[in-house]
Amino acid sequence: MTVRRIEGGLPVAFRYTPGVGNTAFLEAVRDRGVFLGSRCPTCGRTYLPARIFCERDLTELTPDTECGPEGTVESWTVAHHDVDDAPLEPPVTYALVRLDGADTVLLHRLLAPAEIGARVRPVLRDERAASVLDLEGFEPA
Amino acid sequence: MSPRIGLTGLGWTGFTPTTAGRSYKELMFEAAAAAYLDAGVDPRTDVDSFVCASEDLEEGTSIFDEYVPDQIGAVQRPVHTVASDGLFALATGVMLIRSGVARTVAVEAHSKASDLLTQGRVDAFALDPVLNRPLGVPALALAGLEMRRYLDASGRDAKECAEVADRNREHARSNPRASLGDPEEADVPTFDPLTTHQTARSVDGCVVIVLAAEERSNPKTVWVDGVGWSQDAPSVESRDWAKAVAAANAAATAFAQAGVDPGDVDVAEVDDTFAYKQLQHLDAMGLERMDPDRVNRSGGALGEGYLHEANGLARTLAAVEQLRAGDGRAAVVQSWRGVPSTSAAVAVLRSA
Amino acid sequence: MTGRRVAVVGAGMTRFVRRAQETGKELAFQASRAALNAAEMTLDQIDAVCLTSAPDAFDGVHRKGDYLADGAGAWGKPYIRTYVGGGSGVFTAIQGWYTVASGQADVVLCVAEEKMSSCQPHPQGAFLTIFDNILERPLGPNLLWIFALEMNRYMNRYGLEKRDIASVAVKNKRNAADHPAALLGQADISVEDVLASEVLAWPVQRLDVSPISDGAAAVIMASEDAARRLTDRPVWVDGVGWNLDTTYWTNRDLSYPEYVEHAARMAYDMAGVTEPRKQIHVAEPYDPFDYKELHHLEGLLLFDKGKAPEAAADGVTARDGDLPCCPSGGLLGVGNPIAAAGLMKIAELFWQLRGEAGARQVPGTPERGVAQAWGDLMQVGTVVVMGVDPNGHRSASTATEPAETIGPTPLSDGEFRSASGAVDTPLDVRFAWDPGSAVGAFLDGLRDGRILATTCASCGRTLVPPRAFCERCFRATDAWTSLEAVGTVETFSICHVTWDMHPLEEPELPAVIRIDGASDGGFLHKLGEVGPDDVRIGMRVEAVWRPMEDRDGSILDIAYFRPADPGVRRELVATTEVTA
Repeated sequence: MTVRRIEGGLPVAFRYTPGVGNTAFLEAVRDRGVFLGSRCPTCGRTYLPARIFCERDLTELTPDTECGPEGTVESWTVAHHDVDDAPLEPPVTYALVRLDGADTVLLHRLLAPAEIGARVRPVLRDERAASVLDLEGFEPA
Repeated sequence: MSPRIGLTGLGWTGFTPTTAGRSYKELMFEAAAAAYLDAGVDPRTDVDSFVCASEDLEEGTSIFDEYVPDQIGAVQRPVHTVASDGLFALATGVMLIRSGVARTVAVEAHSKASDLLTQGRVDAFALDPVLNRPLGVPALALAGLEMRRYLDASGRDAKECAEVADRNREHARSNPRASLGDPEEADVPTFDPLTTHQTARSVDGCVVIVLAAEERSNPKTVWVDGVGWSQDAPSVESRDWAKAVAAANAAATAFAQAGVDPGDVDVAEVDDTFAYKQLQHLDAMGLERMDPDRVNRSGGALGEGYLHEANGLARTLAAVEQLRAGDGRAAVVQSWRGVPSTSAAVAVLRSA
Repeated sequence: MTGRRVAVVGAGMTRFVRRAQETGKELAFQASRAALNAAEMTLDQIDAVCLTSAPDAFDGVHRKGDYLADGAGAWGKPYIRTYVGGGSGVFTAIQGWYTVASGQADVVLCVAEEKMSSCQPHPQGAFLTIFDNILERPLGPNLLWIFALEMNRYMNRYGLEKRDIASVAVKNKRNAADHPAALLGQADISVEDVLASEVLAWPVQRLDVSPISDGAAAVIMASEDAARRLTDRPVWVDGVGWNLDTTYWTNRDLSYPEYVEHAARMAYDMAGVTEPRKQIHVAEPYDPFDYKELHHLEGLLLFDKGKAPEAAADGVTARDGDLPCCPSGGLLGVGNPIAAAGLMKIAELFWQLRGEAGARQVPGTPERGVAQAWGDLMQVGTVVVMGVDPNGHRSASTATEPAETIGPTPLSDGEFRSASGAVDTPLDVRFAWDPGSAVGAFLDGLRDGRILATTCASCGRTLVPPRAFCERCFRATDAWTSLEAVGTVETFSICHVTWDMHPLEEPELPAVIRIDGASDGGFLHKLGEVGPDDVRIGMRVEAVWRPMEDRDGSILDIAYFRPADPGVRRELVATTEVTA
């Protein structure tokens, strides 16, 4: 019997609308360079990016609370591989950053070394498109 | 909870990096045939319900449940899929029996990871498409982030994690199912502080387990007295990065159902997809004081290989083998779905 | 061991729309919020969450269950996503039932969500990936094929009229005009409109089909004790059933859904229903296509085989008929966000049995209903029987509308294309599938110009496509045999669109070929050298092989099947190139 492998993929693509909450957040980043979150009136938790629901009690929320711009590093990692397991030269550092006023973190690039607890600030691009890539990343404040 | 529910049959195949020349269907048939033989049942007449655990994108086929019934003896029978790890399917089997709609249930999960050429891309497709994926961040980076946060919050260090990997591989030397041996490449950072040696390697394989109501037990039966499952917030933004919240919740439910305290546990087969996770999971479940040599005596995923959706059933298999051999009386089995998931399930097993 | 009684105590849903602005998480939230509002409950009263959603390939998120968990209120709670293709929506209620009946939880929130609009270039294209990766996908199968093949077989077997089948689309779209969440309600549609609509894959026409939609639905289920505290009119889950048939759909007679009957019997037995036609007062069968409602009504044992169409044409299944079917408007009328549409049927029975269905309310005091969904490769049936206590039905005079639907924000095609912050991503993943020993040998056989089959000594069958195991006897197959590549057309379609919905210049002729010597049919392929109007069920055909040097061990080593009778053949027509 011939040993063979049949190659193939899943030939579909996707267009993702950001949704109501993320659209408010991304437009605020693009148009005003600010970080818009939502505060839950029931439990007090502030979500960043903005959401239309609180995941803990399903209260309906609105994008009503500006956060940051500065924040604190909660963790970081140096990625030595990309999504295809190929080496990343140079390695890329990702971090979880809690912007002031938010109870959640943002995942983004860390542009210079920083330890847990360090204060950082966002680096916004001049040309923005309502994307998380409107940020280059975070740098020590 | 009474009457009790027992694990009456086990079957497995594979646990090797490749299984060339056997399709996933053929692996499933082998494992199922072995499980039904072990349980002494004919699936065409004695098994009332079948539950499989799978995810479409791991298989490369949408609506994957279409492709399962024939090779597990389930044609024109009640079959459904749980889109999660196999331990969630096992918990579902327990619910089916307790509900009265079934008295014998077969549970299946498998990995044919060698068929998937772009594991990293599939893993990344589980990240939020708008908030996280555009960064190009690999899902494994979440393990690096969590490991650093966990070590910082817990006061544990990377050396303890390395010891977990070494110990699990040492345990695996006496596990006939473990085919991997020691890693060949050097131990280098992948997603710092995570390293190659602390990351389980994928294997192919299939595990099938037969559950039955007490009146259908046999002398080898191991009792599943408690099941629990949970998850933390799925989002990167909102989850707890230090504590394995889902494992804690799931364990609390399973222990309460079984009437067992963490101190009573003498066998633990817990998720060790990454070495730090074993420690984090033990901490969350109140098992941090267990004798380390009684944890993952099979070698865990680090020693036996990572079986993807079948990971939880691989841990179950190992725990049942230990209880059947008299190597303990009360076992905790725990699974986690791997990055970027926060879902976990726990089962508490006892020998007769 | 018997479990506890379980009831539905609340229901809610979003509107169904062609494309929603909301993410899947937000859709799940809207439906969950609507259900909690309707039941006047808070999330902390929910012990566990059960969710279903059909293929990840629509929303475009791997492990979609995890992704949706926060919108479905599952933070920190026990939560499982179950999945049986199109059968999922009704299965949500089955999952909720066993979660409560087992004692694992007292009160559960059951959510079903679908955001199909994310899939590009057309969501229909995602269905290519439900077909067998080795033996079927290279043919470029269109989802419409399997419905057309089944519809043709059903009509042919029972001598059915298209007009009677089309009456179902008319009934449901008219019913849906009274549903606040409906996308496709049309009070003035006629049978002539349906019969005049574009032929997509004969005999399927455009208005026979319920198209792609986005939406979510949710119900709350509780144990008897909890239910009686939460509502004065619980709707009991009296019976549940589910059943999955063999993967080898080309080995089955598609004229009757046996698996729906098995699922129905399982549910009826549990519910103590011995005469379904008398004891079921309202039915919500699954209707992604008009003929499917009829097919399923027969599988549900509510009409004899082949007899549902004339009952529909006679008005028996109208809202004011003897057995109202799809009073909601069904998928044809409300919309088809797959899992949400199935759970919508459970919600409809909940409202109907409590007298809360407003303008859709069926007359009288229905006390028992059945909801059914279907899915996979013409393969799975999921059935739930629901009932109220005899005094549980509120009279029509005091009927109220259920809580209003919540969301979503509908987008036009233009708004969708220009939505700010929208992200475009291909699904760029690669597999190298191992066909294994049985299919591997079959492919070798094709390369050598032979049809190979395995045999089972226990049941005596000869199996094409061959497998290493006999699924009937559950034992390894014993031997190999070689068959000639000749056979009979079991069913066929004339398809005018590609798998991703582009029009074809020349129609394709997919068919199930029953190979001579094979016990239960054969496999999917295409017909060639024959005019569409000359194809007949039962026609004798033979394989046309590619030249030996062009064969590489693939189902495409057979170029097509042509009529065995040279008199029926016509000049070779160029067929669309298909790539794997």
